[in-house]
Amino acid sequence: MLGIRMERVHHTFPAPSGRWVIFEDLNLEVRPGSFTVIVGPSGCGKSTLLRLAAGLLTPTAGRIRIGDLSPAQARAARRIGWMGQQPALLPWRTVEGNIRLALEVNGRALRPPLTVEELIAMVGLKGFERAYPRMLSGGMQQRVALARTLAAGPAVWLMDEPFAALDALTRAQLLEEVERLWRAFGATVLWVTHDLHEAVRLGDEVVVLAGRPARIRARIPLPDPRPRTDERRIGEWVERVRAALMGGAG
Amino acid sequence: MSPMGMELPRLRSGARLAPWVPLLALPLALAGWELIVREARVPVYLVPAPSRILATLWAERGLYLQATGVTLGEAAAGLALGMGVSLALAIATAFWPPLERAIMPLVLLLKAIPLVAIAPILTIWFGFGPLPKVLMTALLTFYPALVPLMTGLRAVDPAALELLRAWDASEWEIFVHLRWPSARPYAFAALKTAIPLALIGAVVAEWTGASGGLGRAMWLAQTNLDMPRLFAAALILAAVSLAGYTGAALLERRARWWNPEEARL
Repeated sequence: MLGIRMERVHHTFPAPSGRWVIFEDLNLEVRPGSFTVIVGPSGCGKSTLLRLAAGLLTPTAGRIRIGDLSPAQARAARRIGWMGQQPALLPWRTVEGNIRLALEVNGRALRPPLTVEELIAMVGLKGFERAYPRMLSGGMQQRVALARTLAAGPAVWLMDEPFAALDALTRAQLLEEVERLWRAFGATVLWVTHDLHEAVRLGDEVVVLAGRPARIRARIPLPDPRPRTDERRIGEWVERVRAALMGGAG
Repeated sequence: MSPMGMELPRLRSGARLAPWVPLLALPLALAGWELIVREARVPVYLVPAPSRILATLWAERGLYLQATGVTLGEAAAGLALGMGVSLALAIATAFWPPLERAIMPLVLLLKAIPLVAIAPILTIWFGFGPLPKVLMTALLTFYPALVPLMTGLRAVDPAALELLRAWDASEWEIFVHLRWPSARPYAFAALKTAIPLALIGAVVAEWTGASGGLGRAMWLAQTNLDMPRLFAAALILAAVSLAGYTGAALLERRARWWNPEEARL
């Protein structure tokens, strides 16, 4: 299991008037095997944080480590699983072909923990192996994307609002499955969402990110046992996170 | 859950005409043409009647068949050369984007030169054989093929590109798995545009001096004011061009089979 450590991370983007400071002296530590959820107002830098962790962006200054590796090394070693809001399936590949892509690309040294058939069964798509993405609903497409994310057996899952575009019912189903898969795989998860309900259902900890430059306004540990089905209890936690987001101490 | 795509509503752009309407339009236009030429007694050295053109075509079918073969051969070779060069350049710019800035001024210069003016020069340089025709055709088809190919190789789903980068995919893997499959429909669209241009290129080059081909036949007919022969050659050109275009359009649709909405033209 690999943890994620960000030390004194500084990141800016070019802007019409000089530089746009996204992060200034950001420190974050994610325990190996934990499920950490990042919430915050839109545009505060949640996705940037995830891209920095994935090595898709290089911080202007500071240090990021995935276990003992740099993000670029972790990426090259296929230790990082990436999933975005869009399923990003290749329309000319079948369900099976899309999942297999994760093993074909930069996959020489991979020892996948599960076969593609097992993955398909795990995300509930048995019988759809040869279907093309256009034949599938949005929820089914995200299931394929989820299976593809897990195919190479990454130690760290970086998930950028993966179910934001789905309807509530499908989302609830998929969240349940993600929780189950996370426990089965023992991965470290960094999960970005703007849905507080989703955050307190899934997270071992919720990190509240806000401001410009973005700072960690609160870190709220969620000790409740899983699966968390008590809606009243979830509601209480949502209120606590909301208070932190609005400027309280959490 | 079921594979719902099967019942997707079929979207159509505009109402569709009954299939016999366009089939009827051509005979009607030809009949009108025939009627006007006969009734107004239009002299044959101005506009020949369709019946006359078809009769000429039939009477000299061996000659026309041979001329068509010559022109088609030149057009095909030039098309292959033009498309080949533009494909190679497009792929090169996909791997190394700064190259585009280096080559584009040259490419635009080439495009800006009126090719009708180049044709006689090519003939002077390379003689009456097939080479100047092939070069002319390649020059004419090169640019219209290059732009869609470059666009296609770049018009990839950004989310899929980001995913491949998160896997640390090499540029070659990105090309094989994402860029080329995304560009395939663009390649056939380019072919669709280039096929009629290839025929024009070959014919224009033949017109400036050749020992055979449809362009040569047209030039001969024109200098003799032999309108039925001129129209007959033009008719063959139009038919061949249309057939090539239709073939490429079908290929383009097949290349987009995975996207039924886009595939319906």
